Amino acid sequence: MLRIAQGRVYDPANGVDGDVRDVCLNGGKVVEELPSHAPRIDARGMIVMPGGVDIHSHIAGPKVNAARKLAPEEHRADPLDRTAIMRSGTGGTVPSTFTTGYRYALLGYTTVVDAATPPLAARHTLAELRDTPIVDAAFLVLMGNNLPMFELIRDAGPDGAGPVTEAVAWWLEATGGYGVKLVNPGGVEMWKHGNRNVTSLDDEVEGLGVTPRRVLEAIATSVDELGLPHPVHVHCNNLGVAGNWRTTLDTLDTLQGRRAHLAHLQFHAYGGTPGKRPRSRAPELAEHLDAHPEHSADVGQVMFGPATTITADAPVSARLREITGGKWVNADLEAETGCGIVPFAYRERNYVHALQWAIGLELFLLSRDPWRVVLSTDHPNGGSFLSYPRLIRLLMDREFRNEQIDRVNQKAIRRTVLRDRLEREYTLGEIAIITRAGPARLLGLADKGHLGVGADADVTVYGEHEDREQMFATPRYVIKGGRVIVEDGELREAPAGDLLRVEADHDEAIERTLRPLFEEHYSVQFANYPVREPWLLEPARRIPARRDGSGR
Amino acid sequence: MAAGALERVTGTCMIGDAWFAERTVDAPPVARVDGREVDFAEAVEASAAILGEARLPLVCGLGQTDCESQRAAVALAERIGAVIDPAGPVVDGTVGAASQAIGLSTATFGELRDRAELVVAWRADPVASHPRLLPRLRLDRAGRATAGGDFDRTLVVIDVQRTATADEADAFIELPPELDFEALWSMRALVRGVPLDRDLAARLPLDGLGQLADRFRACGYGAVLPGPGLVASAAGYVNALALLALVRDLARIAHVVALPLRQDGNARGAEDVLAWQTGYPAAVSFARGHPRARPGEFSAAGVLERGETDAALIVGFDALRHLPPRAADNLRRIPTIVVDPRATETAAAARVAFATAAGGVHREGTAHRMDGVPVPLPAPLASARAGDEQVLAAIAARVAGAEGT
Repeated sequence: MLRIAQGRVYDPANGVDGDVRDVCLNGGKVVEELPSHAPRIDARGMIVMPGGVDIHSHIAGPKVNAARKLAPEEHRADPLDRTAIMRSGTGGTVPSTFTTGYRYALLGYTTVVDAATPPLAARHTLAELRDTPIVDAAFLVLMGNNLPMFELIRDAGPDGAGPVTEAVAWWLEATGGYGVKLVNPGGVEMWKHGNRNVTSLDDEVEGLGVTPRRVLEAIATSVDELGLPHPVHVHCNNLGVAGNWRTTLDTLDTLQGRRAHLAHLQFHAYGGTPGKRPRSRAPELAEHLDAHPEHSADVGQVMFGPATTITADAPVSARLREITGGKWVNADLEAETGCGIVPFAYRERNYVHALQWAIGLELFLLSRDPWRVVLSTDHPNGGSFLSYPRLIRLLMDREFRNEQIDRVNQKAIRRTVLRDRLEREYTLGEIAIITRAGPARLLGLADKGHLGVGADADVTVYGEHEDREQMFATPRYVIKGGRVIVEDGELREAPAGDLLRVEADHDEAIERTLRPLFEEHYSVQFANYPVREPWLLEPARRIPARRDGSGR
Repeated sequence: MAAGALERVTGTCMIGDAWFAERTVDAPPVARVDGREVDFAEAVEASAAILGEARLPLVCGLGQTDCESQRAAVALAERIGAVIDPAGPVVDGTVGAASQAIGLSTATFGELRDRAELVVAWRADPVASHPRLLPRLRLDRAGRATAGGDFDRTLVVIDVQRTATADEADAFIELPPELDFEALWSMRALVRGVPLDRDLAARLPLDGLGQLADRFRACGYGAVLPGPGLVASAAGYVNALALLALVRDLARIAHVVALPLRQDGNARGAEDVLAWQTGYPAAVSFARGHPRARPGEFSAAGVLERGETDAALIVGFDALRHLPPRAADNLRRIPTIVVDPRATETAAAARVAFATAAGGVHREGTAHRMDGVPVPLPAPLASARAGDEQVLAAIAARVAGAEGT
């Protein structure tokens, strides 16, 4: 039992906007009332919000681990000692697993979604999440370059997605995944064909009889048919390419009428022509999103300083390799996906980096519905999750933002509307939307991101501070599942978090279709593919899909 | 299976049969201290005492146990402030260490099987070391002939002398020992079209290397399998760097990957578990309470050769047989704890020896194939014994109890 007494509560999902009130927690949930003798936190003068929810991050699995191996220099500079309650570790842009859990919790985040796991490597991701304490974690399963899936899509024809829908559900069940991710659909497969790519939604994936558009349509339809809590999560084709905003719009048009979430929209919002200097098309995309309530995005803000680019979009990494000339990993994963890693740094004086930074801010400041354009840095691609507090200050503090705008490459700024001195300052209520209430709603996590009765007792309490960066960097209290995890900025305990996985029924008969496709495309046996090990799958919470349209 | 024992193992190769046999015949007593059979708790107590008194304990082995036990080994090493290093065969670590410096283009086995038009075994002899590999990848002569249809496949072997794998190959390039670096660097020049001074490169098989460069240029998907010979000498690390640099260059003209062949069955898992828990894949010291990694300094062989460690916990590794002689000699002089399902020379010489239920035989677990793909290990046989993971956890719990935390 715990009463968080008399704080200013920001709980936008329940229409609470800075009202002074008590939040009562019992049995891991928010409750209506507690006896007066219940233990209490005196939150007078403090800000109370639900625990943070990160909708798009890269924290676990083979890609992240390959990036860790590339970063001994960063790790050497940022070691963490073992304590009575903490395992030791290393930080930097790609922290070790334990450190990842602790640092998210210390930042007031209690739920994190890893945005890209190859299904074949689900065991690896699950094993890392098991070693990522405190936060509840989910992962999205990569399906956009999957050869058996391509065959099902090709054979399904334009109407019903039938077997595709069953296969999507089968894959989620087999892996313990939460949702479906498409990364450069078709393009990663083409990368394995002599380093090529697709450049439009209608390019054929050579020899496979599908196009990116067909993959997008089929999978998005299946996800909606299954009523998965989270819509299809799309990393569009042509990431980073000047002029790619047209591909992004084309993707949104194709998915019109179906739910879809676009990942790291900033990287897909460039005007200009390929190979030339990009410019901003953020206003057009922000406007389009505003008009389509079935669509949402996270921003993928770039923050100046070190980053590590980690992506299933391997051809993008090859381009970055040519830019940095530094370390580069490519890893082809049979039948499913690819992987590319390049350590990177964003610099204020660099035209492209400054433009990327500015486009992210434009998307935030121009979007009229914070529920559907939410915060991410695509950690660690645009910067570490540790830079969220600074990003929040950029959104909330116009004076600070304008100072920063004056520091960066001005040619880039002139290609944006930031020069118009966008006046908007995010309110605390809006910050609560883009960092917890919005992501939770987009993920379909009904118990997360709010403080209504029955919600998970995940709460962050901030000390009021004029410097919003400082305020959001060091919460006074973080409560997870009703337990006080952080007190006065110090970790008090570090319990395990839950795996959040979807529960989507499928027709068992799909296995008869999948088995021969597996035997053709994989080097592991079909029987060994689904994860069954209880120690990898527990403790977990199942979030049910609502098939037959009752999902939304 | 008959009467709870394996009667016959099917679907395995000779190496697999030997692997099963070592883990199923004549299991030694569950626990011994100084050669005397003791109960499990006493052995745990003795282990905790040894590790508790040690100034700088060493935890090594790991490549032959499951990921769950590797995870427990790292936790124990952290708790006792140890140096931990997989310390398997040198081939298992060197290419990984080099890839930290420049990265790596790689792929899983299924990709090689289904896409690779050109495969180059560089000082690798998988017919002898990994008998199932070429047939599984349809790279043996029969497999290449029948795979056909979609694309032609070529296997090229580079080695000191003709090997069994070379006999399966389309082309063999004889490369004198100690010239790997020169050959790899010359290949980089050939691939980039940089002219070479043929007199200076007189000892190199330049014609063969030139043809190989042409084959890479002409292929859509190529693969290099570096083997133990590449990294066996003192120049191993530099050779590995040169190979990865060559593959990086090649990857700009075709889709080219490298897949280092490893020896220990879960060497990749050891590297992966260490990396996710500490940020480093090998040679980690917890002596200062946080992980530090220095590949030479904190390698198992290094700390043993310099006599820096005063107790060792060895997991699934016959260290006395496989460490360099000076390291092995020093290992004999310090108290050791061995956790291993097998009866090994190292276990026989240990102060404390736990004979465990084997992962993949008696206990379920997971392992990472050398291409990184995680696979489940089944448990066809029952066993009342503790597995490596349980032994390591019991020791860690006892150490924690003694510390009062």
